[in-house]
Amino acid sequence: MEMTRSLFLIIDDEPALCRLLEHLLLQEGCATKSARSGCEALDLVKRFRFRLAFMDVKLPDADGIDLAGRLRELDPGLPIMLVSGSLFEDDVDLKKALADGLICGFIRKPYKHEEIRNATGCGRLH
Amino acid sequence: MKGILSEAIDDLSDVLWERAAARKSFHEFHDLLVNAIPSSILLVDRNLQVLFANRNFLEKTFHGKDNIVGKRLSQVFPKVILEELGLEASIRSVFDNGGSTQGQKLTYRAPGVPLRTYYYRMIPVIWTANVDAVLLLMEDVSEQVQLSKEVHCAERHLASVVDSASDIVLSTDNEGRILTWNPAAERISGYRVDDVRGRSLFEYLAKEHREDAKAFLSILKFQGGSRTADWVLLTADEGSVFISWVFSTMKDEASQTTGLVAVGRDQTERRKSEVQRLQREKLTALGVMAGGIAHELRNPLAVCSSAAQFLMNDQIKPEFRRECAEMIQKGITRASAIIENVLTFARPSDDAEFAPLDILGVLDEMSRLVAYEAKIRKIEMVTDLPNERLLVNGNRGLLQQVFINLFLNAIKAMSMGGKLRASAECSGGELLIRVADTGCGIPQEALAKVFDPFYTMLPMGTDTGLGLSVCYSIVKEHMGTIEVESTAGVGTILMVRLPLVADEAPI
Repeated sequence: MEMTRSLFLIIDDEPALCRLLEHLLLQEGCATKSARSGCEALDLVKRFRFRLAFMDVKLPDADGIDLAGRLRELDPGLPIMLVSGSLFEDDVDLKKALADGLICGFIRKPYKHEEIRNATGCGRLH
Repeated sequence: MKGILSEAIDDLSDVLWERAAARKSFHEFHDLLVNAIPSSILLVDRNLQVLFANRNFLEKTFHGKDNIVGKRLSQVFPKVILEELGLEASIRSVFDNGGSTQGQKLTYRAPGVPLRTYYYRMIPVIWTANVDAVLLLMEDVSEQVQLSKEVHCAERHLASVVDSASDIVLSTDNEGRILTWNPAAERISGYRVDDVRGRSLFEYLAKEHREDAKAFLSILKFQGGSRTADWVLLTADEGSVFISWVFSTMKDEASQTTGLVAVGRDQTERRKSEVQRLQREKLTALGVMAGGIAHELRNPLAVCSSAAQFLMNDQIKPEFRRECAEMIQKGITRASAIIENVLTFARPSDDAEFAPLDILGVLDEMSRLVAYEAKIRKIEMVTDLPNERLLVNGNRGLLQQVFINLFLNAIKAMSMGGKLRASAECSGGELLIRVADTGCGIPQEALAKVFDPFYTMLPMGTDTGLGLSVCYSIVKEHMGTIEVESTAGVGTILMVRLPLVADEAPI
C-alpha cells in the first residue's frame, strides 16, 4: 500500500536525469518508475497509479504538452509537473496548459532539489 | 603631284614637242591637266609676279575667273598670310638657293568661309641656267586634318573611358605579354604601366592561379568570345587582391586573334560585404536553432546541477558520490561538445579565401548542430556519409551556410515531425550530397522558383532569410550544381554536386 501511495513517474529521455531524480525521490521515501519516451509513459500509466508525473517537454516521440493530454485521458486525475530546459514561464502553450489544469506546475532545468521536493506535495493523496 | 606632272610632261614632250602641229593640242592637254588636278598651282617669277595659276588655285583663293597673271603676290594673298608665313621671303630663298622647300602647313580662314588647311611646297622651275620661276604647290588637306582630328578625338575619348574606369582594363598580346595597363590597374596593383609593359600577365597572378590562367587563355584564343575567371592579382607591396576577370579576344580585320583584353574588378569590398552577410545569416540560423541548442545544453546542466546538490550532502553513500562526480564530468564534456558545435558555425570568419577542405567534415559538423533542433521537433535525423576524407576547393563559412540552410529548410517542411536524411556519395570526381526530408513537399508549379532570390514558400513574416537562392549562388561559386526534386505531401530532396580536388595534404 505504501508503495502505491507514493509512486512517482519520471518521464525524461536523459538517463542521467532519470537516475538523479529517482535518487532524490527515493531519499524522500518515494518510489519511482521512469519512462524514456512518450510511448513508455503511456504504457506505465495504463499499468500503475502514480501520485504525480515529472515530465520533460521534448521527448523523442512526443511533445510534453500533447503527451500530458493523452496521459490524462488514461488517468484523468494524474497531476503532471513539467520539467523542461526549453520552455519559459511566459510560453503561450505552457500558460494555457496551466490554465486548463492539464499540468499542475512547471520546473525549469537545471532545477534545485528543493523545487522537486516541494513539487511532491502537489501529488494526489490517493 | 609634281612627279606625276613632270612625268606626264616628259613623256609627252618626247612625242609632241617636236611636232609643231601637235603643239596646240599639247597646250590644251597641259591646261586640262593642270586644271584637272585637285592641287592649287601658282607660278611666280623673280619679281614675285604671277606667271600662271591653275583653276583650282583661283577657286580656292576666291579669285574666280579673275586674271591674276602679272599681279604681285601681295595682291593675290591676304597680307596676314604673307606676313605670318613669310611667303615672299621663302620664295626669294628658293630663287637664291635653287632647292625645294619642305612641305608646310598653312591654315587660313577667309572671311565668311570655314577654316581651311593647306599643305604647300615651293619648287624651283629651271628653264635656263638659273631659277626662272618658283612653283607654289598647295594642297587642300582640310578634310584630312578634320578626319585626323576626329580620329584623335575618338582615341582620346576611348582612352579617357579606359583611364577613368574604376576597373582594371588591360590588354596583352597572344602570349599574355602586357601591352596596356590603365590607371585603375596601376592603383590596384601598385605597378606603373612602365613596370609591366612587355612583361607576362601571369607573373602578376598568384602562383596557384598561373597554370590555370595559362590553360584558360590558350583555350580562349582558339574559341574566341569572352570568359570569366577569379584570380588573385599580386601587388607591388607584396600583397594580393582578389579580382574577378572578364577576358575577351581582340581580332584584327582578318578575324585573327591579335591579343586579349581583360577587365578586372577588385572584389575585396564585395567579399567583405559577403562575409558580413554570411555572418548575419549565421546569426539568423542560430536564432532558429537556439531553442534546440538551449534544450540540449540544459539537460547536461541539469544533470551537473542535481549531481552537485547531492555531493553537497555529506550523508550520501560513497558509490553514489562517485556516480555523481562521473555524471558531472560527463555532463560538462557533453555541454562543451555542444558549445563547440555552435562555435564552429557561429564564429565570424573573415577569411574569404577558397582552400581545399574536408567537405564531409563540414557536413557532419552541421548535421550535429542542427540535430538539436531536429530532436525537439520530433525529427529523426540520419546521416549516411562515407568514411573518407574528400576535399573540395571551397570556403568553410559559405559551405556551412549551404548545409545549415538545407537542413533548416527540411526541418521547416516537417512541422509534424518526420525523417531528415543527409547522405553523400562520390562519383566521377564529384561529390553528390543529398538532403532528403519527409515534409510537406514543394508544389510542382513552385519548383522552378525555389532558387529565385525573392521566392519564399513560407507565410509572410516567418521567413528567416535562409533562402535556397543563397545556397544556389554559393554552390555555383564552388563550381557545383544544386537541384531539387519534390513530391507534394511526400517530401523533398535537395541534391548538391561539388567537384572534388586531389588530396595532397597529409592526413
